[in-house]
Amino acid sequence: MSMKRRDFLKTAFLAGALTGLGLEPFSSLAAKGKRDTARKMIILGFDGLDPHLLEIFIRQGKLPAFARLWREGDFKRLGTSIPPQSPVAWSNFITGTDPGGHAIFDFIHRDPQHYLPTFSASKTEEAKKTISLGNLVLPLSGGEVTLLRRGKAFWQYLEEYDIPATVFKIPSNYPPAPTKQRTISGMGTPDILGTYGIFNFYTTTTAEVQQDIGGGRIHNVYVIGNQIEAKLPGPVNTFKKDRPETYIEFKVYLDPVNPVAKISLPGEEFILREGEWSGWKRVEFPLIPTQSVSGICMFYLKQVRPEFKLYVSPINIDPAKPALPLSTPESYSRELAAKFGPFFTKGLPADTSALDSDILDDREFLIQDDFVLEERRAIFEYELKRFESGLLFYYVSSTDQRQHMFWRLLDKNHPAYDERLAKEFGRAIEHIYIEVDRILDKAFSRVDKNTILMVMSDHGFSPFRYAFNLNTWLKENGYLSLINEWKQGEEDFFLNVDWHRTKAYAVGLNGLYINQKGREAEGIVPAKEKEALVREIARKLESFVDPATGERPVRRAFVTQDVYHGPYTQEAPEIILGYNQGYRVSWASPLGRIPKKIIEPNREKWSGDHCMDPAVIPGILLTNRPIQAKFPQLFDLTATILQTFGLPQPPEMRGKPIFKEESWAKPK
Amino acid sequence: MWIFNQILTRLFDVLFWPFQWLHPWWAMIYISLLTGLFMLWVFRLTSNQAGIKNIKRRIKAHLLEIRLFKDNFALTFKAQGNILLCNLKYIGYSFKPMLVMIVPLVLIIIQLNFRFAYLPLTPGQRAIVKVKVQPDLDLLELPISLTSTSGIVVETPPLRIEEEGEIDWRIKALEPGRQSLFIQIGDNHQPISKEIYIAPDNTRRLTKLSPLRPPAKFPNALLYPLEKPLPTGTPLREIEITYPSGHFHLWGLSIHWLIVYFLLAIAFGFGLKRFVGVEI
Repeated sequence: MSMKRRDFLKTAFLAGALTGLGLEPFSSLAAKGKRDTARKMIILGFDGLDPHLLEIFIRQGKLPAFARLWREGDFKRLGTSIPPQSPVAWSNFITGTDPGGHAIFDFIHRDPQHYLPTFSASKTEEAKKTISLGNLVLPLSGGEVTLLRRGKAFWQYLEEYDIPATVFKIPSNYPPAPTKQRTISGMGTPDILGTYGIFNFYTTTTAEVQQDIGGGRIHNVYVIGNQIEAKLPGPVNTFKKDRPETYIEFKVYLDPVNPVAKISLPGEEFILREGEWSGWKRVEFPLIPTQSVSGICMFYLKQVRPEFKLYVSPINIDPAKPALPLSTPESYSRELAAKFGPFFTKGLPADTSALDSDILDDREFLIQDDFVLEERRAIFEYELKRFESGLLFYYVSSTDQRQHMFWRLLDKNHPAYDERLAKEFGRAIEHIYIEVDRILDKAFSRVDKNTILMVMSDHGFSPFRYAFNLNTWLKENGYLSLINEWKQGEEDFFLNVDWHRTKAYAVGLNGLYINQKGREAEGIVPAKEKEALVREIARKLESFVDPATGERPVRRAFVTQDVYHGPYTQEAPEIILGYNQGYRVSWASPLGRIPKKIIEPNREKWSGDHCMDPAVIPGILLTNRPIQAKFPQLFDLTATILQTFGLPQPPEMRGKPIFKEESWAKPK
Repeated sequence: MWIFNQILTRLFDVLFWPFQWLHPWWAMIYISLLTGLFMLWVFRLTSNQAGIKNIKRRIKAHLLEIRLFKDNFALTFKAQGNILLCNLKYIGYSFKPMLVMIVPLVLIIIQLNFRFAYLPLTPGQRAIVKVKVQPDLDLLELPISLTSTSGIVVETPPLRIEEEGEIDWRIKALEPGRQSLFIQIGDNHQPISKEIYIAPDNTRRLTKLSPLRPPAKFPNALLYPLEKPLPTGTPLREIEITYPSGHFHLWGLSIHWLIVYFLLAIAFGFGLKRFVGVEI
């Protein structure tokens, strides 16, 4: 039985790695006095911007700002991380190390005691000390959210030398690393439920209600006298012993004839026409009389008749009243909220789950993603305007999200290609490249002879046409055994795996672990036999051929001992798979399901990807200075930042500066 | 009632004239000070000052009695009873000035509500216009339409809520200034207008806003004094605009204007009682 992306998301949420809310306010950090720097740096991080596409669009004259930067400076492919996943790649950039130095190996890690997947980036714990009064549980200390990325961030180094930095939405920084610099967390920031984002969909259509959707909840509603009563679920109430789910009740009034509805929330009501978005609405979930959690969400009235359909976006943490840590200093998110109103705080803001589940169609998804972009652009212009010295890092996620979702309309060989949709939305990816070109154009306005302007991406993109069931391959090759063969493909989390006869298993999007004796709860492979086994599996994986295409799905199987450096290498998976173009791990395998087929066509809307061999999908690097490095890597940029500000490079950093020091005075 | 409302509104317009370009905090401090002085003045005129002085002295004496004879339970118990009686008498002395004050205070609060409780719309902002009609009318058959002056656009068709006898539209503010909405019912009735104010920007200033045009009936006409009540015989019961609510912000707290007003007025009253020579 195959697993779709929605199942993957649903199961991932069920894993419940992020639970509970720390409601204790985090200590406010005052902004530190900052010195003026002779040199300045503006770094634009466009997630997933692909060098191949970029070159095509530049040559077609569609990206004048990129063309200018290339002309005036340099453009090179940027070596990405192993594996080329955003949390890993951005951690390389943040710390100047590889995963052996920052301990982020994948989106998903595993707990060796239970073989269960866990989120790699952060850990949320509820208050450790509480007192109970009847059904009430009162915390005596605050909950705790811990950033699991190790290593020091480059802005922390800059802070030591009093060099100011503003770092906007960089991934792998939730909760934000402690600093007095201005930072706000990006990818990895949960919604108000503590998940990566769960939307709500209210419908009178029974067929939709019966859908099993990951990343969303479908609510069956009834129209009685042109009115609908519904509940918007909120976080679990940790102040109550039985931990009930909080909710707010709301009412929808429909006109008997016109396609228009009034939505009445506690304290606010608004009218939407069919096909309209509400903009941000604040919702407050009461916990106990003195405590509540504030969130923000958008309503979209998809349809009024014949069937009623209302979409409510994942509830983002309210930046004006953050229930979880979002920024440093804590006041920074409030400052932005006061200036711009509510804004997307969830790590990956566009709701790809809703598009994948056909709750939103392509047009509706793009409208939502445009909201994200508009907000980002406004805040960018604000930060750019007040940028005087030091470093400004600015991140855009829409480049990554759109390529994931719309690659199918660019690639005629993709199993999900649709000619009709391609005509209408086939240029969605091109449009986002044009949008970020406009952002780059704005940045030029603040560049003087003492400013380095750098545009980078963490990886490129490639089609995801075929899904590779790695655990199935392990089973077929005798490395993984099942308890009941007839139940193959039915259960997640390795529930059907016979650990006493299993030598290797795969968790996450690129990782493969050995079932090692003394490390895994039911490990069988002695440490001394591990090395040989790892080499054997890696060799076999690299030589495996897809009988349907004649191609090798696995281009490289990296043995982490060979490629990682640093104190956390021992925690890494034994092998990181570098898939070939067109191939990626399936949605089933990362969470421990073992489908029957090794390779399946990917018919999902999530059709472009980057969890492949780093050589296949390099990122981009453009700067307004000549780049001396022949093959610049992500961690080289961190060394370059320190060099720019004349700071010594700590020994744990792997990279080398990409500029020659004397090139500073001579822009091309 | 309308003439009375007009006079009172003009009087408050004059009182607040110097503050119309300032943040409402200034007007709030000013009106609270005036209210404090007004309450002291009413108290002095209407209360039994000698009686209050006397009763307060007696309360003090009984408190002293409790401290001096704390070992004597019967005496302490009796003194506490006497304090309770004195307190009742004290409340009795305050009752008359309170009674005198309550009417002008209600009128003041009504006026202040429309200056402090709401925020004007700004260009680009949206609001709901709610029109309530007579209960016997069939909303689906009612030929009702909403138009506006050029500074506002009506964005939605009417949304009819039959159970509530209510018709709603969404409007969007375009241009700053005093704008008007017009509700037309069929061809036989004159259009009925409702005024709406759009501020040029988000800078908070003291602004007089009328969220509701009431029916020509008591007490609604008294409670909503800024606009002429709806003409009698119209099918409409009221017209309302959902202005954003305007709270006061202090040290990160969002406080309702009425709480700020009463706290300040009482503080000023107690602070100035000696200067005015009033025993409270």
